[in-house]
Amino acid sequence: MTLHLTHEQLCDLILADSSFPPEGEPWNDLKAESDVVQEHLRACLICSAELRSLRDSLSHFRNASVSYARQEFAQSYAQRSSIAPPHSFLSQPLYWTAAAVVFVAALFPLSMHRQRAIAPVTATAASASPQITESESDDALLADIDQKVSADVPSPMEPLADPTAGAASTTSTSNQRND
Amino acid sequence: MASHAITSNTHSVTQQSPATPLDDMASIVATYEQRIFRFHLISIRDRDVAQSLTQDTFVRAWAARDSFRGDCSISTWLMRIALNLIRDHTRTDRFRFWKRVSETAVDVSDIASHVPHRDSSLESRLIASEQMTLVWESVAQLSDRQRSVFLLRFLEELELSEIAEVTGLPISTVKTHLYRALATIRARHNATHKDPL
Repeated sequence: MTLHLTHEQLCDLILADSSFPPEGEPWNDLKAESDVVQEHLRACLICSAELRSLRDSLSHFRNASVSYARQEFAQSYAQRSSIAPPHSFLSQPLYWTAAAVVFVAALFPLSMHRQRAIAPVTATAASASPQITESESDDALLADIDQKVSADVPSPMEPLADPTAGAASTTSTSNQRND
Repeated sequence: MASHAITSNTHSVTQQSPATPLDDMASIVATYEQRIFRFHLISIRDRDVAQSLTQDTFVRAWAARDSFRGDCSISTWLMRIALNLIRDHTRTDRFRFWKRVSETAVDVSDIASHVPHRDSSLESRLIASEQMTLVWESVAQLSDRQRSVFLLRFLEELELSEIAEVTGLPISTVKTHLYRALATIRARHNATHKDPL
């Protein structure tokens, strides 16, 4: 008989899983061994103290791990929930200002693109302007013709101006000198 | 159970996938997410990786839900997927288990503050924190297989038969891994108590 429990005996006590006895080992033998182990634990302070200490260590490890994991899970869950802005945040002016800035910044490249697209159209319009002035002069000419045609007395039939009017006054003046 | 709907007009056969308990994935995620996350977090000891692997666990479960035959519990099935993901992750070249330094890596001081203190005396608190730290550091020294089996037993409190189902190992092999893991912890435990300072 050993002085203290073997490692396997101590582990079996910690595992406390006797529902699966080792293969080929009858239940009665297992129970008898368990009785011997329990009797030894009552008598041996060293083995009982070590068993208690190991159980406490494993228990602290589990409890701390579970508690820590629960806290981390709650934090990660809160982070996932905070991805979408809360409703109270939507009511803040700063949020809407930032949204407007972002909207304008997004429209700026679009407006630049549109300006570039308008520039060729302006050049095309400039090249077409002589044609427009030519058509305007034609219209003025036709309007002038219409006005002349619609006149009461055609211009060829209007009385001519007296070409001798100036000459007659000159002749009378010379006659007066001769007299 | 597969259901076949034959429409007489079009003479086409519409085959629906069989209904599985995993079809209601929302309730399964709500039930098991925290537990799967805990196992990933303590196994990998990295918050971001644990979150990512937890999501991957349920994505894989959803993708493979048709292969779930119900011969084990959903919890065991999910834990098996989680364990495979951890194994795949720790096998990558980029990952150096327990040695990786990252901002989201879990430090022992993070855990130590969660040691419950039923007794408010300073001495008992220090002893409890020391015992927890001892196990935490000892687990880091275990092999991947020993660590997984140890955590399934002493963190998730699975029975040996359930651990055998999750890992695909015989119960005797599971016990052997637990004996060795406990031997490592016990050796460190005894060394600490014999030479406290």
